Amino acid sequence: MAGKSGREISAVPQGGIKKTLLSWEGALLVVFIAINIFGVIISPNYNATNVLREMQKYLAEVFIMFGMGFILVLGDIDISVGSIVCLSATMACLSGNAGLPFPIVVLITLGVGLICGMINGLIATQFTELPTMIVTLGTQIIFRGIAEVSLGSGGSVSMQDVKGLMALGTKIGPFSISFILVIVSAIVFITILNKTSFGRKLYAIGSNKTAARYAGINVEKLRFICYSLIGFLAGVCGLFLLASLYGANTTTGNGFEMEVIAMCVFGGIATTGGKGNLIGGFIAAFVIICLRIALGQRNINTQLILVIIGAMLIVSVVIPAISGAITAKKKRASVN
Amino acid sequence: MEKKSLWAKLTASREASLLVVLAVLLIVISILSPTFLSFTNVRQILLNNTLTMVMALGMLCVMLTAGIDISITSTLAFAGMTIGMLQKYDILHNTFLLFVIGSAIGLVCGFLNGIIIAKGKVAPIICTMGFMYIWRGMAYVISGNAWASGQDVAGFSDFGKDGSIGPYIILLVAYVTFFIVMKWTRFGRRIYAVGANPEAARISGINVDRTITSVYMIMGFLAGLAGVLSVSIYASAQPNMQYAKEMDVIAACVIGGVSMSGGRGSVVGTFLGALIIAIIAKALPLVGIDAIAQNLVKGIIILAVVILNVITQRMMDRQNLLRREL
Repeated sequence: MAGKSGREISAVPQGGIKKTLLSWEGALLVVFIAINIFGVIISPNYNATNVLREMQKYLAEVFIMFGMGFILVLGDIDISVGSIVCLSATMACLSGNAGLPFPIVVLITLGVGLICGMINGLIATQFTELPTMIVTLGTQIIFRGIAEVSLGSGGSVSMQDVKGLMALGTKIGPFSISFILVIVSAIVFITILNKTSFGRKLYAIGSNKTAARYAGINVEKLRFICYSLIGFLAGVCGLFLLASLYGANTTTGNGFEMEVIAMCVFGGIATTGGKGNLIGGFIAAFVIICLRIALGQRNINTQLILVIIGAMLIVSVVIPAISGAITAKKKRASVN
Repeated sequence: MEKKSLWAKLTASREASLLVVLAVLLIVISILSPTFLSFTNVRQILLNNTLTMVMALGMLCVMLTAGIDISITSTLAFAGMTIGMLQKYDILHNTFLLFVIGSAIGLVCGFLNGIIIAKGKVAPIICTMGFMYIWRGMAYVISGNAWASGQDVAGFSDFGKDGSIGPYIILLVAYVTFFIVMKWTRFGRRIYAVGANPEAARISGINVDRTITSVYMIMGFLAGLAGVLSVSIYASAQPNMQYAKEMDVIAACVIGGVSMSGGRGSVVGTFLGALIIAIIAKALPLVGIDAIAQNLVKGIIILAVVILNVITQRMMDRQNLLRREL
């Protein structure tokens, strides 16, 4: 699939307009438009204003998606992000209630996320023998454990002074601050991954770690940076989650890691590393968000949405497998 | 042949070192709280962890083939909700048939996982993540977001209520069967072979795809069985039951020495791993640590165990290298 990324080395030149239109991102864009048409048909309230308003509660997760894209391209995985969101949101509430000014609270929220990410990165780079799934499984339980201990027996906390959080939730024109930030970070992170040497090195590591090391890439340093980045973005997510929830409890951010990985995979980023594109992940995130809003407006059981998302995920990974098998068969037939 | 020292033996066998850890743990806890090892306590620890222990066996098989299955608790909820609803609407009350139906549902769920992973060459974590959403959603959909209460499952819950020996028998049968199958049957050894080196296994005539599919079917079957057991033990069925508990099962396997890259791990190790987590969870309040800190301690132990494992492995490698130099 050259159209998907153009990254695979092949002796035969591949590409062309038809291939680009048939690429994964192209298909996602079609799906995105289809979902929006579908939304307009099934719900009379499905218009730009409403969608932008309702989008706000889902947008926080998209920040983590960018970091997860980096991690997956590396061939790693981070399942501790949901717990980092929980811990940073908890610390924000506790420090806010302790009377600290809002800018300091913001710094603490982001700082907690960054430190958690750095801890992950440190363990993952010091003990490279360990699969990152195990490392982040351990820290997932630890980070949420710390949040549970700091929340105490009540298990929840709400922000008393919500002025600062309200300011975060305000709108500039029709767009909320989080929406604008998501778009800006999308541009920044897509550029980093596609156009800078840092981004291209991540693909090199993801395709072949040993080769990347021999090519002079400081593999462990880059991995550490990516883990710190996703931790920081989880902190950002925690902050914007607070802007719509005004509080945290022990289940805050539960399952976020899987939802974010689902967005990436649906967007064509392979968990085996070295393949995929953040543009795909970005479109996929909005496909899922718009689907949720459309179905939610029709009062369709939120749990049924889970079934649909799961089915989309399975279909999106099975299609490349089947098409790959068919091309392989054709190739074999032509050789014979 | 030179005789290995006791220390070398202990560090070489994961099961032996786990036994030592378990023994030290039990001694320390018994000193701090002399009543800990009472019959009732031990019985309750086993009963409360039956689900994790049963599913850990399936996870062992899956992880031996370098796979992972995070859909298990959703399968559990789907199977459990189905049999809960069968009783709620008075369609079926036969305990044995309910067990068969629940396990069969799990088997089908596992088959879907297995066929997609084996034939479609889809990464196990992604495929099972999709089904994690699907089966959890289906559990809500078939129940219409409602519960099956204790009254609905009244007769059935006798099987798993405190004092009944049903769950223990299932646990015992499962572990003995798996111990034998994994150690001495052709099927069990095939799983190890596929996990250690799929290419070599294929060349030596093993049907790798079929082995992988059957491993996920075993996992699904056990998850379905755990769903039925869960309804029976907790005397209710809720769509969100055991939510996010699949990580506990994986943690039990990891502590028990099952390698995530496949080919390494044993039934005894898995049992000891699950037991260590269970005992720590139960003992924390007794030794004066707040139950709130339970997850924190559990996470630290998981990380400590895997990191220690890496460090000892590195030391052993270095010693082997030094020996070769001489």
